[in-house]
Amino acid sequence: MNRMLPLFRRSILDGWRGLVGWTIGILAALFLYLPLYPSFGGNGQMQQIIDTLPPELVRSLNYDQIGSGPGYAQATFYGLIGFVLITIAAVGWGTEAIANDEENGQLELTLAHGVLRGQVFAERAAAVLVKLVWLAVVSVAVVMVLNEPAELGIEFDHLVATAVAFLGLVSLAATAAIGVGAVTGRRSWAVGAGAGIAVYAYALNALGNQSDDLGWLHDWSPYSWAYGDSPILNGWSGTIWLNYAVIAALLLVGWLVFRRRDVAV
Amino acid sequence: MTTDTGAAVSTRGLTKRYGATTALHGLDLDIPRGSVFGMIGPNGAGKTTTMRLLLDIIRPTAGELVVLGRPPREGGAELRRRIGYLPGELHLGTRVKGREFLAHYAEISGPVRKGAVDDLADRLGVDLGRPVRSLSKGNKQKVGLIQAFMHEPELLVLDEPTSGLDPLVQQEFHAMLHEAKAKGQTVFLSSHVLSEVQQTALEIAILKEGRIVEQSTVAALRENAVRHVKVVVAETDAADARATLDSLPGVAGLAAAPNGPGTVALSATLDAHVDAFVKAVARLDVIDLTMEEPDLEEMVLAYYGTDVSSTAEPVEADRKAAKR
Repeated sequence: MNRMLPLFRRSILDGWRGLVGWTIGILAALFLYLPLYPSFGGNGQMQQIIDTLPPELVRSLNYDQIGSGPGYAQATFYGLIGFVLITIAAVGWGTEAIANDEENGQLELTLAHGVLRGQVFAERAAAVLVKLVWLAVVSVAVVMVLNEPAELGIEFDHLVATAVAFLGLVSLAATAAIGVGAVTGRRSWAVGAGAGIAVYAYALNALGNQSDDLGWLHDWSPYSWAYGDSPILNGWSGTIWLNYAVIAALLLVGWLVFRRRDVAV
Repeated sequence: MTTDTGAAVSTRGLTKRYGATTALHGLDLDIPRGSVFGMIGPNGAGKTTTMRLLLDIIRPTAGELVVLGRPPREGGAELRRRIGYLPGELHLGTRVKGREFLAHYAEISGPVRKGAVDDLADRLGVDLGRPVRSLSKGNKQKVGLIQAFMHEPELLVLDEPTSGLDPLVQQEFHAMLHEAKAKGQTVFLSSHVLSEVQQTALEIAILKEGRIVEQSTVAALRENAVRHVKVVVAETDAADARATLDSLPGVAGLAAAPNGPGTVALSATLDAHVDAFVKAVARLDVIDLTMEEPDLEEMVLAYYGTDVSSTAEPVEADRKAAKR
């Protein structure tokens, strides 16, 4: 009668158009940026341009490593355009998971059926995370395809570490939206939490880059936890997993509160 | 907890508070299995709150609640599979087609007989091949009814089920309720007007400001309802007739008015006591007699107007209106 994970499948099916769109977005960003590296990154031209820019701006944009292939991929995609794009997707999906569905009234109908609150929360959160994993995997595949033609010289293991760090960072925004949505049931709170944590992470890292006096700010930025040790150059680092710990905490709190509170009031 | 009384729904002192406002003040309600039970009341009376409590969408602040033998909180998913629910505010914004939408809900409700969805769609006249969000309000309501009925649940909880339906579909819906009752299903439905429930519901409860102000059968309501009566007699008999009517129980507001040459019309309201009235009038020389069918709606409106919050508790806000 009932097949496995009905709510998970429904979420994926409902969102396939969006997922295709974001996948195309990632492909477009990577295929636009990375092939440019040999023409003006690899020959030192890029470094010359960077040297003419105010150092504060360069540090804010994390462009200090842009002269190397791995640094270029990090600065353009994982650290900036990919981060912004996928954070938008993550916050949108995270908000849809509970808060949006609750505000538009359909969650009430779903919960009136033969499902458990915890199950709804878990399956929908899983659907969001699986979609983000997909996008991270797509990025790894595309970077590997472009690695040689674009003369990036990125090691596969380092790339995987970077993608895992990236996934942790964007999933943090997604789970903030899911968790706050599950606790409050309010769309605006969920969006605010997801977007807020991404802006906070990025801004704190950018401030921390400005001077050694402000370097301690890195300790509090999820962006720094993900990228502070430059996984694309150096491989795995322990702080990557800090984001996953916060994700787990957010999911736990959301799950606990969502099972107990009144819905649709 | 309460023991299973055999009722489909049983509540004792059921209370729901949202912060400072109280939506339900200790509701005592028993809905027998196999009955069609109507709950009527103005907006914000607590109808939706009561129904959401049954489905465990919200949790009671105090009191006891047993649905099909189990408290909703404990019964969980297994209990909800045995219930069909139509929310009062049905928002279906998905671009998924009707058939696919219902297939999803069939997966997470009780087992749905093959062909049941199409049968219901044919009866109600809704095209399931169209995206749900493109359907009109009435057609969305039909989709909502299908998901409530399709697994032939033991208990149907329908919050203002006929809203948005045209009269023909309403008739079909009433037929569906009769069939459900014939199959032994229990129906609990709500409305803000009596006319929507009096055709199908035997028993009704009138809810106002979170309290039951009247619980009765439609027949008993009708029996006790106030009727307007008019007796026309010859002018010469008027004084005698007036005295006779005045002495009757249940007669109020007696007034005489000239009614054409040589006759007088005596009009009054009659509260129950129809038998005594007819027998007394039979002794008079009656030229004309009119007794209007009682207007139950008027009676219910009178309940809506009754001030039941005369206690010291703060006047509660209209939950439904305040919600969004």
